[in-house]
Amino acid sequence: MKRTLSALVIALSISAPAAAQEIKLAWNDRPSLRVGDWLRVDIRARVQSDVRRSPLDEVRDDTEAARRRVGIEGRVGKFVDYQVEYEIGAGEWRDVYLDYRQFKPVQVQAGTFKVPFGLEETTGITKLDFVYRSSTSSRLAPGRAPGVMVHGKVLKSRLEYEAGIFSRDGDNARPAKSTRVSGEETAAARLAFEPFHGSKREISKLRVGVAATSAALPVGLPSVRAKTAFGAPFFDSDVYVQGRRQRTGLEAQWRPGPITVQAEYIRLTDERRGQAIEGEDLSPLVARGWYISGTYRRGPFEAASRFETLSFGDTSGNTDASTSRRAEIVLGNYDRAITFGVNWYVNRWVRLQANLIREQLLDPTLGPLPERPIFWSRVLRIQVAL
Amino acid sequence: MKKLLLLALLFAPVLAEAQTTDDLFDIQRMQEIQLVMSSRDLAEMRENYLDAKYYVADFTWNGIRVRNVGIKMRGLSTRSPIKPGLRVDFNRYIAKQKFLGLHSLILDNALRDPSMIRERTSMAFIEHMGQPASRESFARLYLNGEYQGVYALVEAIDKEYLARNLGENDGYLLNHKYLNGFHAEDLGDDLSEYKTRFEVQTHQLEADSIIYSPVRELFREVNHPVDGAWRSRVSEYLDLDKFVTYLAIENFLSEDDGFLGYAGMANFYLYRRADSNTHRLLAWDRDSTFDRIERSIFERVDENILVRRVLRYEDLRKRYLDTLEQCARAASENNWLDTEIRRVSALIKDAVYDDNAKMNSNEEYDQAVVFLTDFAKRRPEFVLNEVAKARRAMTGSSR
Repeated sequence: MKRTLSALVIALSISAPAAAQEIKLAWNDRPSLRVGDWLRVDIRARVQSDVRRSPLDEVRDDTEAARRRVGIEGRVGKFVDYQVEYEIGAGEWRDVYLDYRQFKPVQVQAGTFKVPFGLEETTGITKLDFVYRSSTSSRLAPGRAPGVMVHGKVLKSRLEYEAGIFSRDGDNARPAKSTRVSGEETAAARLAFEPFHGSKREISKLRVGVAATSAALPVGLPSVRAKTAFGAPFFDSDVYVQGRRQRTGLEAQWRPGPITVQAEYIRLTDERRGQAIEGEDLSPLVARGWYISGTYRRGPFEAASRFETLSFGDTSGNTDASTSRRAEIVLGNYDRAITFGVNWYVNRWVRLQANLIREQLLDPTLGPLPERPIFWSRVLRIQVAL
Repeated sequence: MKKLLLLALLFAPVLAEAQTTDDLFDIQRMQEIQLVMSSRDLAEMRENYLDAKYYVADFTWNGIRVRNVGIKMRGLSTRSPIKPGLRVDFNRYIAKQKFLGLHSLILDNALRDPSMIRERTSMAFIEHMGQPASRESFARLYLNGEYQGVYALVEAIDKEYLARNLGENDGYLLNHKYLNGFHAEDLGDDLSEYKTRFEVQTHQLEADSIIYSPVRELFREVNHPVDGAWRSRVSEYLDLDKFVTYLAIENFLSEDDGFLGYAGMANFYLYRRADSNTHRLLAWDRDSTFDRIERSIFERVDENILVRRVLRYEDLRKRYLDTLEQCARAASENNWLDTEIRRVSALIKDAVYDDNAKMNSNEEYDQAVVFLTDFAKRRPEFVLNEVAKARRAMTGSSR
């Protein structure tokens, strides 16, 4: 993070000649500082507050949550974009990167940013159709990590690619203050393709993609854990892993007119080399999830719904499945959730979101409410973003 | 030869399926248990031998392999990283998994007992007296192929034990956990005082008030001043006839760490039926029996308020003395106790000699067995004399 910030400072210093040029403060949806043609600094800020109601309130004390982020983004010179974002309260730097964009087919981004994996995970929070990302995205996609990425668009923008090396697995897979193990140096790649690009039909707005990550995984209990929409664990991943952590992802999005349909599938495997009782390899711990969602927008209002499933381990009912840390067949659990939502775009800066979520756990005894396999939750969010 | 082989192959699965807990607890032969676990887990378990953490292992007995069982260190004064006492829970990681119908099995390292047979002999005697007791046998235990020594295989007190011994298992089973010297005092209104001393083994999801109120009431009533209603009040929470029988057998066996133990009450379970508030005691961990041949049959009775008060009732005192007499006669009849000691010690002798993890030498083992046989010969006579004296005293006082 310090290296990225230093690079950013150097990049801004290089633009020193700009100091002699005209300095202009503008308002274009948000405050923006422009120094000639050399520097653009857009101020970003976002405040949001959630009010939650759920049976989980009885076991968790987080019925209200607020987030405040500030940052800047813009361009240095002709070819270098940058972004710096900081979360107040949590005291965490979020995206901090430089992006060299001279050539459209080959661009280079360096710093801390989201590993190119997952359609929903790489969508900014102000653009999400629901209050929360699907559990599949927020648990199985890697999230942010420091790294270098090459990306670009080829074949007349029909194909977009991203490929990078990151110093570690993403933040989603490495909870803070955890002693659990996570992926080390991570390679990631993502391809997104618009097969009907250029067509005049609605089908031209179809976009499909694939993605993969691979990382070395040291021995220990894994950091990736199954959690409900409100973050309550329903499978603790208490099995020893070692080897490689690999993800594969499929994604599709179609946006004809006021409608958006989106679907994603992610499979994460943690190898368990040498973890059997007598030192043999065990079959990998498998987590998989998918969702399909749809939205319809009319004026300032948008209706949305999403169906999703996130499962860890074996959920087939195999009687040999075990909860032991060295089980060949890991007794698993799944969460199936349906979310109904309404979004109201009050103006270009303010958005209200209301979601009603129904969740069903295969084995509620592993979850937050051992005697309730099905539970409903609701959440209201107000979001103000510059 | 081919036909024989074919027959053997045909019958092998049948023979394997035919094995039962009677075979496991068969004291006519030395058993063999193989435990296999990750070498990393084993090293961690030995290093943290005071913890109660479970580890996964594969358990093999007589060709039957049970995978993914949970094992953990057990014992208080017998905890050892060298010769670990272990509890095996077959259903720890696979909810419905059992071994020969058992949910769990104790591998007792017999570390405090140089003869290694006090525990098993005592349980056999309790059973001989018609009282509930754990079945036990002996095994050579191998951990990752390495011989760990002689272990007593002890049937855990659980639902299977209750069904076998009491004919039902729907009630509340509570394991007395030793904390400090407790002599049946009233611990007050707070149920947590009882919860920390009595670990519930069944009905775990029920409210503490349902589980522990009858236990609190038992000790509350015991400590009320003795009046005309004391006995009936206490009887609502403790079967006094069964209690006195339990106590007499324990004292015949010269138990130093039991209900009248050197450091307070120890090594028992409480059980009460689901439709009753009345408890009974179930004997556990008898490796401190055979303490002294000439141990008084009234040793430490005044230290425990419950025992002291119970034995003041003439019929209960008489029952106590009668049971002691029955114990003495049962032990000496056909040299039952002596025969049992000789038979079992002969069975395990070679395995004990091979046991390098035991705390005592082979000579000490031999001497301990000699002491037990001496106990078997002399203890009945001593107890009969003590009983006769006590009866004379009762007759004298009633005149």
